[in-house]
Amino acid sequence: MSEGFDFYRWRLVILGGGIISVILICAILAPWIAPFSPYDLDYMAMLKGPGATHWLGTDEIGRDILSRIIYGARISMQVAFIAAGIGLVFGAVIGVTAAYFGGIVDMILMRFMELLFSFPAILLAVVLMASLGTSVLNAMIAIGIVFIPGFSRLARAATEVVLREQYVESARAIGMSHTRILLREIMPNIVAPLLVEAAVAFSYAILLESALSFLGLGAQPPEPTWGNMLNTGRGFMAQSAIMSIAPGMAIFLTVIGFNLVGDGLRDALDPHMKD
Amino acid sequence: MGTPTLSDLRIHDTPGTLPTLSVEGLGIEFSRRRVWTSVVHDVSMKVMPGEIVGVIGESGSGKTLSALAALRLLPRQARVATGQVRLGDIDILAQSERQMRTLRGNRMALIPQDAMQALNPTMRVGLQVAEPLSLHSGKALKAVAGAAAGLLEAVGIARPAEQARAFPHQFSGGMQQRAMVAMGLALAPSLLIADEPTTALDVTVQAQVLDLLRNIRTTRGTSILFITHDLGVVAELCDWVYVMRHGRIVEQGSVARIFRDPHEEYTEMLLAATPSIHAPRRKGALA
Repeated sequence: MSEGFDFYRWRLVILGGGIISVILICAILAPWIAPFSPYDLDYMAMLKGPGATHWLGTDEIGRDILSRIIYGARISMQVAFIAAGIGLVFGAVIGVTAAYFGGIVDMILMRFMELLFSFPAILLAVVLMASLGTSVLNAMIAIGIVFIPGFSRLARAATEVVLREQYVESARAIGMSHTRILLREIMPNIVAPLLVEAAVAFSYAILLESALSFLGLGAQPPEPTWGNMLNTGRGFMAQSAIMSIAPGMAIFLTVIGFNLVGDGLRDALDPHMKD
Repeated sequence: MGTPTLSDLRIHDTPGTLPTLSVEGLGIEFSRRRVWTSVVHDVSMKVMPGEIVGVIGESGSGKTLSALAALRLLPRQARVATGQVRLGDIDILAQSERQMRTLRGNRMALIPQDAMQALNPTMRVGLQVAEPLSLHSGKALKAVAGAAAGLLEAVGIARPAEQARAFPHQFSGGMQQRAMVAMGLALAPSLLIADEPTTALDVTVQAQVLDLLRNIRTTRGTSILFITHDLGVVAELCDWVYVMRHGRIVEQGSVARIFRDPHEEYTEMLLAATPSIHAPRRKGALA
């Protein structure tokens, strides 16, 4: 048992966490950090490249790209957290219930999950968006639903393992109720894999949200999101490549950040890596 | 120690005393692909107040299953097919699941084989040890956590207040097993079911845990059902022994009689299979 903080063990988490913190701070403090409003048009400066006034240049109607990226972080982060949250909570509840009660409950829940799982993620999200209507909130819900089967399978597998542990049996042997066993004995012992999965889900949510926005199904213009900026930028590739590169880099960095955290957590929480 | 008949006297079994645990004609079945197969047949045993009863047998002889049936903690695919289990005057098999929860940990407790595995790695030992108090009093765990140090002290853990705040992996094997005993004793149950509690321990620590169990019996009058495959432990600890094989009880008797004069060939074989540094093996040894 080494006391103190093991920097080496957590290095990936710290690096990824650093990237995400920067983006998170941008998202939260957007109105104070962004040099311009994301909606203000500057007709004197359209499709400008990077320069002193507009650090990342301007888009086709003269809006400051950096400001739009910073404001776009708000939506991307919100979607990522809420969608991954929906997936994590519902997935965990379904998976743990299925594993704990087994039999017919397990059978029904997991077959339904497999049904959801069998659709390609993007298709499922598009279908859900089509039936829910296009809005940022619905995008979060749709992406969250896409995540539920993955989380539920993971939670179910992890619970199956914990259920075979003796401490669950000794919890029963001292007269613990089902709810208490689930909350006290099982949940704390399955959070590690679920957290790792959540980090991966974050980055995937950002990609999915961008894809939905790109398809015009997420946030609606003039609301800035990385996805719809990328979509608009596509049309101006020849005139101003920065319009596509900037949101692309933002997505790239965020996804890298979350993946680093995910990989780092997986290694750092792996009991075999202890000591 | 006198004639075989005399030494087979069950001193705790006085007329008119209600056994702490009595099992009669117990049969347990396992299902595999919806076919029920009987694995424990017609097992009858009893544990008298203040008595330490050993159940001995090889792996798969049904000794653990029989004990789990007393707690109604059989695995999902197993069921009690026949027989009766009584704890004092309570008919265990007739209790609802809710009623069973009030009995487990309270009137009877289980001490498992591998304490490391039996402690939740994410919870401090003290909280786990005090858990039965919280469960059966309806008080919050925080409110009873103070009792943990006392419970740990009672099982001979040094610096109990400090150790209560440790996590299971910071305990040695012997300390973990003591913590499990402390948890079992938290509510002073009338029956302790110990399922090979010393198998995972080295010999010196094993001796300490056995001492602890013997002390508990002497000072608190707790009955102990001790499941093991270790004849040495039985000889040292138990008053009465049941020998199980293939899901049946093949022989029972006082420890003195069983060791001196086993009636069954299987018991003789078990005895002969125990390594000894003394005298060469007698007849019936597995050559």
